[in-house]
Amino acid sequence: MQEQRHSIRFIEEKCIGCVTCLRACPTKAIRVINGKARVSYEKCIDCGECFRVCPHDAIASETTSYTDLEKFECTIALPSPVLYSQFGHDILPNQILLALKKIGFDYVFDEAWDCELTTDALQEYLDVTEGPFPKISLTCPVVVRLIATLYPNLIKNLVKLDVPRESAAKKFRQKAAASRGISSEKIGVVHLTPCPAKIISINHPVGTDKSHLDGAIAISDIYGRLLEALKDLEEDVILQLSSGVGIAWSISGGEIMGIRQENCLAVSGVQDVIQVLNDVEAGKMNDILFLELLICPDGCIGGSLTVENRHQARRKVRRLIKMFGEHTRVSREMVLRLYKEGYFDLQKEILPTPLKPLDLDRAKAIKKAKQREEILKRLPGKNCSACGAPDCRTLAEDVVLGQAAIDDCVFLSLKKINNTT
Amino acid sequence: MDEDKKFVQEYEIRGWDFTRAGEASCEIKNLLKDIGVPQDIIRRVAIAAYEAEMNVVMYAQKGKMRCQIDPERIKIVLEDEGPGIDNIERAMRDGFSTATPEMREMGFGAGMGLPNMKRNSDKFYIVSDVGRGTKLEMLFEL
Repeated sequence: MQEQRHSIRFIEEKCIGCVTCLRACPTKAIRVINGKARVSYEKCIDCGECFRVCPHDAIASETTSYTDLEKFECTIALPSPVLYSQFGHDILPNQILLALKKIGFDYVFDEAWDCELTTDALQEYLDVTEGPFPKISLTCPVVVRLIATLYPNLIKNLVKLDVPRESAAKKFRQKAAASRGISSEKIGVVHLTPCPAKIISINHPVGTDKSHLDGAIAISDIYGRLLEALKDLEEDVILQLSSGVGIAWSISGGEIMGIRQENCLAVSGVQDVIQVLNDVEAGKMNDILFLELLICPDGCIGGSLTVENRHQARRKVRRLIKMFGEHTRVSREMVLRLYKEGYFDLQKEILPTPLKPLDLDRAKAIKKAKQREEILKRLPGKNCSACGAPDCRTLAEDVVLGQAAIDDCVFLSLKKINNTT
Repeated sequence: MDEDKKFVQEYEIRGWDFTRAGEASCEIKNLLKDIGVPQDIIRRVAIAAYEAEMNVVMYAQKGKMRCQIDPERIKIVLEDEGPGIDNIERAMRDGFSTATPEMREMGFGAGMGLPNMKRNSDKFYIVSDVGRGTKLEMLFEL
């Protein structure tokens, strides 16, 4: 079942076949066929741009529902640090963690703390790693997928450290199993996510055979319950361990904020990330040590499953960074020990999954590229999308591949009709 | 070569047009991906074509980049109307550059342009006429 490999689903009854989603798609994976949007899942990188722009609510994200947790004997919540930016000014991270406990999670751990651990591990990694440079962060699963499909040459540039949500899930599952004396399958570990792509990195992980997480709940889905729970908290324990260094991971520039190496760059937003990857591929950015690339605008606070607008959220994060400081609370000795033990290691090599060429036979592919240019010259170049493809060039390609007809172009058909009458 | 098997694309490059600089080599790279050229060769062509394109943008008034692809090889030809290179041997040396401080500030002029093109291509030819322009040709065997 290919559909399950992706984090978004088109709801046919609601789709009216407008072209908003296909024009927003950075990999040109969507077409409108017979009045309904269809996605080519091999081209989809789960960026969620279509989900974000659909005016008819016809695209749903496939996140875990709160009730899915009932099947577990014990539940663990690992909130993305983005969660801390979603509530009013006076509500602090520890209150939010306590509210998560109150709504029913058996254990709640501050994932920002694991981000902080990874920050230190990353420093160590960047000190010892050999090229090719720049090294590219694995944090955003969409960036990893984008590189695997469209920039397979850059797979070698990906950092070989696991992401905090995975290393944290592994650690806390083991701890909970030991302290409760139950088998680890009976424990449900969920990430509270600002974006739909995390669910894919859980159901179909790269860099590991099986994710350590059992699911991802949308921040927007759990928001209401948390607001209720925050009303009368009986605060009793300290759950927040992180400083500003870990909390900063929720915004663009946050991952590099805590590392001492200066020669790093943070980029966010899908078009900007694509432009930077083109530059890296042209050999233009070899002098940079580390690139933090996040698909959502302004970083994870710009995720499509958040509640607060990202500008307000950014302001909140900056305030929290000031409040909890830019000095890590992690002990360097401990991180070095964990690093040597392989705690941060990726378990499996990330493999490229390049898109299929126009034809597997090179001579035929060249011929098709030529035909594509010829067809493109006949098309009006208005990129109106009325044919169901995002632009004229994509229609030309679909025609060559036998997936569309040149008469799908409304301008050409109009001309034809006018000529015959 | 059978004309039918060849595919030729030509791109105009304008000197000092820094906003569109790099677009032609990026288009060539995408074309090679569509044709299913091995990744390692794509990487080499992308780097060499980008360097060549930037040389035209930085030094010449205008130029043309032609990409010719057939099942056996990729040929990239650049012809520009520019100042030309008076001492090609020297320009081929690692580290030699005539880039202005402004160009260096933009990250160019490390003096690796021509040697980098040569290193990444299987065959590299260059002829230059001082005061008129430069023509270079790079071959990549498939």
